[in-house]
Amino acid sequence: MPTTAAQLSGKSAALEQQVRTGRVGLKRWLGPDYRLGFLFVLPIVVLVLALVAYPFGYAVYLSMTRKYVGLPPVFVGFENYVKLTFDGFFQRAVVNSFVFTFGSVGIKLLLGMGMALVLTSQIRFRSFWTGVLLIPWVAPTVVSALNFLWIYDGSLGVLNYLLVKVFRILPQGVGWLSEAGTAMASVIAVNVWRGFPFFGISFLAGMKGIPGELYEAAAVDGATVVQRFRHVTMPGIRNIVIIVMLLSTIWTFNDFAIVYILTKGGPGGTTMVLPVFTYEMAFGAQRLGEAIAAALYMLPPLAFVIIVLARHMRRGRAK
Amino acid sequence: MDSRLKDLAEKLDAGLIARREFLRKAAVVTGGTAVGLKALEGMAGAQSQTKLRVWLFKSFVTAGNDILAKQVEGWAAERKVQVEMDWATFGDREQKFVAAIEAGNPPDMAEMNYQGPTRYKPALRDVSKLAKDIAGARGGLLPYAERILNNNGQYFGVGRLAFGGGFFVRKDLLDAKGVKLPKVYDPDVVEMAKKTQDPSKDLWGFGQTLNRSDDGNGFMQNILWNYGGSAWDKDGKPALNTTFQKQNLEAIKFAVDTIQKHKIQPPGVMGWTDVHNNEAYMAGKLVSTNNGASLYYAMVAKKNPLAEKTQVILTPGGPAGSFVGSTPYNWGIFQKTKHVELCEDLVRWVEDEKRFDEYTKASIGQAGAVYKARADKPYWKTDPNFEGMLQNLLRGVWVGYPGPFSAAAVEVQAQYILCDMAGRVVVGGLSAEAALKEAHARVEEIYKIRGGKA
Repeated sequence: MPTTAAQLSGKSAALEQQVRTGRVGLKRWLGPDYRLGFLFVLPIVVLVLALVAYPFGYAVYLSMTRKYVGLPPVFVGFENYVKLTFDGFFQRAVVNSFVFTFGSVGIKLLLGMGMALVLTSQIRFRSFWTGVLLIPWVAPTVVSALNFLWIYDGSLGVLNYLLVKVFRILPQGVGWLSEAGTAMASVIAVNVWRGFPFFGISFLAGMKGIPGELYEAAAVDGATVVQRFRHVTMPGIRNIVIIVMLLSTIWTFNDFAIVYILTKGGPGGTTMVLPVFTYEMAFGAQRLGEAIAAALYMLPPLAFVIIVLARHMRRGRAK
Repeated sequence: MDSRLKDLAEKLDAGLIARREFLRKAAVVTGGTAVGLKALEGMAGAQSQTKLRVWLFKSFVTAGNDILAKQVEGWAAERKVQVEMDWATFGDREQKFVAAIEAGNPPDMAEMNYQGPTRYKPALRDVSKLAKDIAGARGGLLPYAERILNNNGQYFGVGRLAFGGGFFVRKDLLDAKGVKLPKVYDPDVVEMAKKTQDPSKDLWGFGQTLNRSDDGNGFMQNILWNYGGSAWDKDGKPALNTTFQKQNLEAIKFAVDTIQKHKIQPPGVMGWTDVHNNEAYMAGKLVSTNNGASLYYAMVAKKNPLAEKTQVILTPGGPAGSFVGSTPYNWGIFQKTKHVELCEDLVRWVEDEKRFDEYTKASIGQAGAVYKARADKPYWKTDPNFEGMLQNLLRGVWVGYPGPFSAAAVEVQAQYILCDMAGRVVVGGLSAEAALKEAHARVEEIYKIRGGKA
């Protein structure tokens, strides 16, 4: 049936009305069921706002205040950040955090890779060894750290007992957690012991996904073991390596329990890392504004590391 | 039957309302009544059983903890009050207070350490009247306790006890070598340690950490005073690298020398926390150490043979005298409580002398006196080791000495600045002068923020 001019004019008026209210634009932009869509995402939006955005926003606000326990906060702008920037102890904590994080992650990467390679080879009781190697990862951090506190003890610790009394390697016990040369290495060792199984098991999963034909083809082409690892294994688990390193960097950088239980950041600030510094600032000094500023201070560099790694990973996938 | 239900039934019989409407209205009436009754029941229950949240301090002297808990329960039963007891430890005390106060949900009352009345003052009630009543009936507070608890004429904590302690010495080892009990650190303790120790058998003359811990704080603080120094001058201003620079330098050098030059401390001592010297002493690996009475309690309670071979003496001194810091535990009542009178009643109950005597007896020297009358009790003469513990308390000075007890002095302790200062020399490789300068800057920063008052 032909459309009359009056009908056209009526449709056009209705359309105009809809456009004026913006509904057509929204429908076109968000789809016809956008109202229902909003309803469905509303709970998660409320949750994210209440549990993530609000606390984070409030933390940012508090970091710009002078906030003492039991007293209302006083806004001071960026004073806390400026003060921290020039604080020698904070600077040392930043350096220590990077040493602790990259030292740990680097060693975990090597050990984890070794663990995965051993477990992919033909060894007896492979399942058993996989289970055994996972124990450090499964054990609660506090329990592990307390055990190592005892192991490292200068007078009563089992490590010195073995080195001095049983194997007679050293004439006298070493203060593992009390000397400049060994304190940081000792806390890194505990973090490594606890964290390397995660690397190993993740790499193992990745290696199992690489088709055996690739190795066979490489072997036929005369590739050595090292070449097969470099040109077949590594490209096959590249993304997993990046993800695991990314996660471990974040976890290690924020690791509080191991350092706090073993040294409390001592002796003389040798093992003071940012989480412990923040904790001491919050509960020792009870300066909550500065403590939150210390906690947020490293957020941009960490975010940068994460973005770079994530982009790198995406690029690899695109290729 | 409820009159509303009766009306509905009559209307149904008369055919004025439908059966469905009858059911709907009856359900509303019945449900509403049930909810109302439940609410009334809850209100009645709340009125009959008042609930009091009490935080106690869990010390290493477990027998004392048990008795205190029993006394609080006894009070609750007597007063027909429901008490929710919670324990704070050395490790989580401040965290719990900070979290509870910031969340606006502190307990009604709590047993606090010496820092509590200053640090949590904004959340605490002024308990001056109660504090003065209790102190007045016990001859008044001892000078060190008065300086800490009297906050510009106000009291935010009611004194309870101070941990007794002293210098723990293996008398048997000293006797075997014909060495006298030491009175000063240098040369007495150094010589005693050198003569009695045997590193080949892992026996060390002296065990005292300078790591971040209460033990490290206490030792470094005492040494500064012993050499005539302090972190504070008489007016409560920072003095580490100014007024007392020379004395403080001497003090640091001595503390560091015990590890590096004299070699009388075990390897690993810089990694110790508060429990390590207790463990090492009880394992027979130390000739001497400074500690609270909990070490003696542990030896006696565990029937450790070293208890009989140990003598607790006055903490050794230095060129300027013999100083030791004493810090009173106290009861704080929080502003948010709705049961002030009950809280005060509970404080009076546990501080009653008969009950406190029971607690003291179980604590084996740890329940040191904060009140003059308690220092005169015959209990302190029942064991030769108690004498050293008591005398240490009686001559005790306060954090911030020779200036006033202040919030800044408390924070210097809480941030382990004096331990870090020594640690920077022993482990960090700094010179004593550089470490002193660095620590002074930190103290000045705290002074700027907290000021010189409590």
